[in-house]
Amino acid sequence: MFYLQYLKAELTKRLGKTITISLGLGITSAIIIAIVSVSQGLSSTQKKVLNPLENVGTDLVVTRSISQEEMRTLDEATRTEFAQENRITTDLSKLGKAGDNFKLDTFLSGSMLSFSTDELKKIDPKLVKDYAGGLILNVMHQEGKIPEIVAEFKTQEQEMEIAPLSAEEEKAINDARTKAMEELKAKGIDPRSDEGRQYIRAAVNAVTPERMKKFRVPAQTFRQAINMPQTDIKTENFTVAGVDLSKTEIGLILKDQVVQGNYFAKEDDAVVNGSYAQKKGLKIGDKINLANKEFSVVGFVEPKLYAYPADIYLPLNSLQKLAAKENRINIVLIKSSNASSVEETSKKLSELFPGAKVSDSADLAKQVTGSLINAANLTSKFVGLVSLIVILAGFIIVSLLSLLSLNKRVNELGTLKAIGWSDMLVVRQVFLENLTLGVLGGLLGVGLGMLFIYITNRFDISLTANFLGGEPMREVARRFLGETGAKVATVKLKIDYSYLVMLIGGGVALLGSILAGGVSAFRTIKLKPSEALRRVE
Amino acid sequence: MAIIEAKNLYKEYRQGSKTIKAVDGINLKIEKGEFLVILGPSGCGKTTFLQLLGGLESPTSGEILIDGVDITKIKERRLAKIRRDKIGFIFQSFNLIPTLTASQNVEAAIAHQKKNRVERVKKMLEKVGIASRANHLPGLLSGGEQQRVAIARALINEPSIILADEPTGNLDSKTGEEILSLLRELNKKFQQTIVLVTHSEYAKKFADRVIKMRDGKITSS
Repeated sequence: MFYLQYLKAELTKRLGKTITISLGLGITSAIIIAIVSVSQGLSSTQKKVLNPLENVGTDLVVTRSISQEEMRTLDEATRTEFAQENRITTDLSKLGKAGDNFKLDTFLSGSMLSFSTDELKKIDPKLVKDYAGGLILNVMHQEGKIPEIVAEFKTQEQEMEIAPLSAEEEKAINDARTKAMEELKAKGIDPRSDEGRQYIRAAVNAVTPERMKKFRVPAQTFRQAINMPQTDIKTENFTVAGVDLSKTEIGLILKDQVVQGNYFAKEDDAVVNGSYAQKKGLKIGDKINLANKEFSVVGFVEPKLYAYPADIYLPLNSLQKLAAKENRINIVLIKSSNASSVEETSKKLSELFPGAKVSDSADLAKQVTGSLINAANLTSKFVGLVSLIVILAGFIIVSLLSLLSLNKRVNELGTLKAIGWSDMLVVRQVFLENLTLGVLGGLLGVGLGMLFIYITNRFDISLTANFLGGEPMREVARRFLGETGAKVATVKLKIDYSYLVMLIGGGVALLGSILAGGVSAFRTIKLKPSEALRRVE
Repeated sequence: MAIIEAKNLYKEYRQGSKTIKAVDGINLKIEKGEFLVILGPSGCGKTTFLQLLGGLESPTSGEILIDGVDITKIKERRLAKIRRDKIGFIFQSFNLIPTLTASQNVEAAIAHQKKNRVERVKKMLEKVGIASRANHLPGLLSGGEQQRVAIARALINEPSIILADEPTGNLDSKTGEEILSLLRELNKKFQQTIVLVTHSEYAKKFADRVIKMRDGKITSS
């Protein structure tokens, strides 16, 4: 075919032009591929983080967590409980003689108040397909030498320690809360409104035993270092979670999330969050000491429940014993018996556990901030606009290049007309050239795009997601420990090679060349051969 | 019957506010097999007249009959076909396609034909005496060689008419003379009608008939 020979001659004899135009198209489509792929990678990562419950076979979580806002309007009973579960008193003199080394681990519930495992019995087996309890505690680890300068001082009487509520008292409080809620509902007042909250608080306060309101800690005598040399005592925070081993399909971590080593086999096994292990330089088989008990690291895990990440996971029983919280848990993971009835289940659970919080994925998603969310929001906002600009710029550049090269060939095309080529034939030839350049550009673009994705994935870009759920706890921690124990999940950005994106990217190059070819063809038709020929002279 | 006939041919250009009459009422008959030279200074409208004859330009008014067909009134497709089959163009600046070899340039004129293209091109290049340069790109050929390729391209379809616009304008006088002799020889051999426009008087000696043009009009014939 002469026409194909001509095409080949045009492309190979004007190699500079061929390379410039196909490179222009290729870069345009590579940029599109890069932008769209990154944005897809971000949103799929975001989806994983924002839909954390799905990863652990869960629809709903029940906690008694207290948000920062609620802290101000807590009823007396809950406030006392909160104080009790986050109490830190360190009388160093009780730990040994001055100059001795000491280690002390204090377990704090933080904003997630604990409740009795007996509560689980209330769960209606018809409502729920499966459930698992868990205990997530903040550990304050102190370590150092007991200082020499010790003074004795008396504390003031304070409302700190308190005899826990008896079962009847707890029931009375719960009943009062339930009753108040029902009354509010009857009146049509939202229990979450300020008015509703105050009403419930009043009702609860009415049945709260007197000792809870006017409780006094008897005067105590402490012997403690004054002006403690700061360098001597190191304080560290981390999170420990107790995993219900009786469940295999649902739980804070599941067996298939172990990335190295094994899942729990024994009481004193510990499974460690991969990123924490990396930070601490922990290896499988290492021992970790918690409250003077040795645990062996048996596996590393990548926890998928991003909203409630912990650094160290222990069997639930072991943690309960260690933290002196026998039969206490502070989170229940629930799988609804019917996926479509999650909302209903949530409602029923709220009624079953008055004062508790039932959250689904959407609730948890709202609590997430951090670079992942920022990046994903940013791209979702701008990906369309940026793509459009790139396409437009690419198209304009390619059209200009095409037209420029066409202008140089006006004489040539006029000659073709003069020797008897019809408009159709000339247009076809120009169009064919553009199309070939488009195909070359598209292939180049897909190649460059894939290279970009490969390199980006090699770079191991980590994104963080912070969970606001941890805020009040952090406040407490900051106040007492001067350090933070934020709930941060680190997620690696992984960009997939998507056929569709490659197709779109390559298509952009092809489309660009077709449009440019169309413009060129239009100009060719308008061109009179005589004008074309006159230009040379 | 004349092979080419121009009747009351006018061509006007607008240049700013001025109207230029490039062809100003020409009536002319050209017989089959005739070697016609149109002489005139540059700007006299002779190139425009030639382009009108070849259907590269449409007249403001008037008729052009090629073998009795008025080419001013037919569609582009048919006109392209007439140009392809009946007319061969030769230009002052050769107008070869720079990315194609000498033989490919000639082949471009018979691209529509399915058979024997390569052999026909080879024979034609031999006829114009440039067979040895068949695979060279135009940029590597001398002016005379390029014009020979252009002539081969004009002749390959065995057209009945050759329209040549200053074919020797870019050549030295010796090469120019060679080219004109070649055209004359072909005209004798194949009975092709040749219309050659030029401003150089020495083309006269090859012509059967010479007419002069000035300001868009034929002044003598």
